[in-house]
Amino acid sequence: MAENSVHVQIAALRKIYQTRREEIEAIRNVDMAVREGEFVSILGPSGCGKSTLLMAVGGLLPISGGSIEIDREAVTGPRRDTGVVFQSPVLMPWRTIEKNVLFPIESLGLRVADYRDGVAALLEMTGLGGFADNFPSELSGGMQQRVAICRALIHNPTLLLMDEPFSALDAITRDAMNQELLRIWQEFQKTVLFVTHSIREAVFLSDRVFVMSPRPAVISKIVDIELPRPRTLDIEETPAFNVYVAELRKAIEG
Amino acid sequence: MAQPDENGIAAQIATQAVNLAPATVISIAILILWQVIVVVLKIPEAILPTPVRIFDVMVERYDLLLTHTWPTTLQCIYGFLLAVAVGVGLGIMLAFSRLFRTGVYPLVIAFQVVPKVALAPLFIVWFGLGMTSRVLLAFVIAFFPMVVNTFAGIQSTDPVMIRMARSFSASRWTIFSKIEFPTALPYIFSGLKIGITFAVIGIIVAEFVTAQEGLGYLIVFSEGNVDTPMLMAAIFVLSVVGVILYALIVLLEKIVIRWDVGQQL
Repeated sequence: MAENSVHVQIAALRKIYQTRREEIEAIRNVDMAVREGEFVSILGPSGCGKSTLLMAVGGLLPISGGSIEIDREAVTGPRRDTGVVFQSPVLMPWRTIEKNVLFPIESLGLRVADYRDGVAALLEMTGLGGFADNFPSELSGGMQQRVAICRALIHNPTLLLMDEPFSALDAITRDAMNQELLRIWQEFQKTVLFVTHSIREAVFLSDRVFVMSPRPAVISKIVDIELPRPRTLDIEETPAFNVYVAELRKAIEG
Repeated sequence: MAQPDENGIAAQIATQAVNLAPATVISIAILILWQVIVVVLKIPEAILPTPVRIFDVMVERYDLLLTHTWPTTLQCIYGFLLAVAVGVGLGIMLAFSRLFRTGVYPLVIAFQVVPKVALAPLFIVWFGLGMTSRVLLAFVIAFFPMVVNTFAGIQSTDPVMIRMARSFSASRWTIFSKIEFPTALPYIFSGLKIGITFAVIGIIVAEFVTAQEGLGYLIVFSEGNVDTPMLMAAIFVLSVVGVILYALIVLLEKIVIRWDVGQQL
């Protein structure tokens, strides 16, 4: 079955940054296999190299050793079937919301006219229906990050890479965005690789959580989150949820 | 938060007019005070003519003033456009080429130290007393702010935004044309506003020296004749030309930059 086949395969990944004075070993040895349609979080303390890992999967950073394969092809650069959401929305202030969402289409050399309906549908689905012609400065931080998610989805990628996308938002907005993300994920059935330093966020969202150790990073633990879906925020009050949170906290604290 | 779509250009101009009201009132007050002081103290016209006298000259001799206004205005625009083309072009090259940054930028900076006005006689030697010398002087004075602002504007691009574009397989050209250039636009417009006032200075100085035509020529000619009212009328017309050219660029900026640049500059 397609759901069970491996989508992203990372083997013996190593990443060394060369600074002027020294070599910094960001990632020592990471093995990961992400199945198609799976929601996987990479959880770790700040500066542990989890964003580096995600950028390498996105083909945005060269790796120093090991391999990253998507659909059994080695990643050599950015791929057309991947969408990336960054920590900040990085919207172009001179473009309207609609044109921001259409940027990947232009960038990939596709026909913009073919995707206008797609933009409208995505904006509608993320509660931004009336904002197509607004400028980013007229939207709140949460709304801007939703636009960034629409932008990452517009070209219909199969893999969504999210680099702490909600870390700059307040707790209430963040909860709402997490619920919304699950709704979108369930609707589109994408594979999601989600980087976070929030244990609760990782448990709430994921099928599996990979815990990364501090630098030089290795995967110190993999936890299957067997909570029923669809999930709503009240699941955070259940004993099962808090057992996972405790288990992950212990894994992080080593 | 600005809502550019709801404020048309006309509405913005109306707002500007209201904003200018206090300055207008003060200007009129100064003119009245000027008139009174000159009349009461019986200051000779050759030293300081009254505003009314200057206005009279402008009405009576409007044909002479206009004859000299056109070449000045046109040459300002030529020199300015040349400076925009070369300055913005060089700014872009500096942003993209290490060779330009290491090889050309130091020369541009070094050249900026030369007082440009001092080049006027040299240009006359090379290009004669005609328009070429004047336009070139305006150009060399006006182009530096364009270079620096374009370069700085492109360099101010958010690296995460470039990474975002790369994640969608953006080409180098797409990154420049759709991200770096729009980012640089507010900076470029600051350069244009500085540049146009510099271009006016360049033309006037060149007209002093070449003494063929234009408001600068009219100013030195009137000075020679101790015709202070005409001299001051020419300065006034020159100021009006400068303000109009500046306002045109502000208008263009309002048309081109419709987004909120509050955090950028």
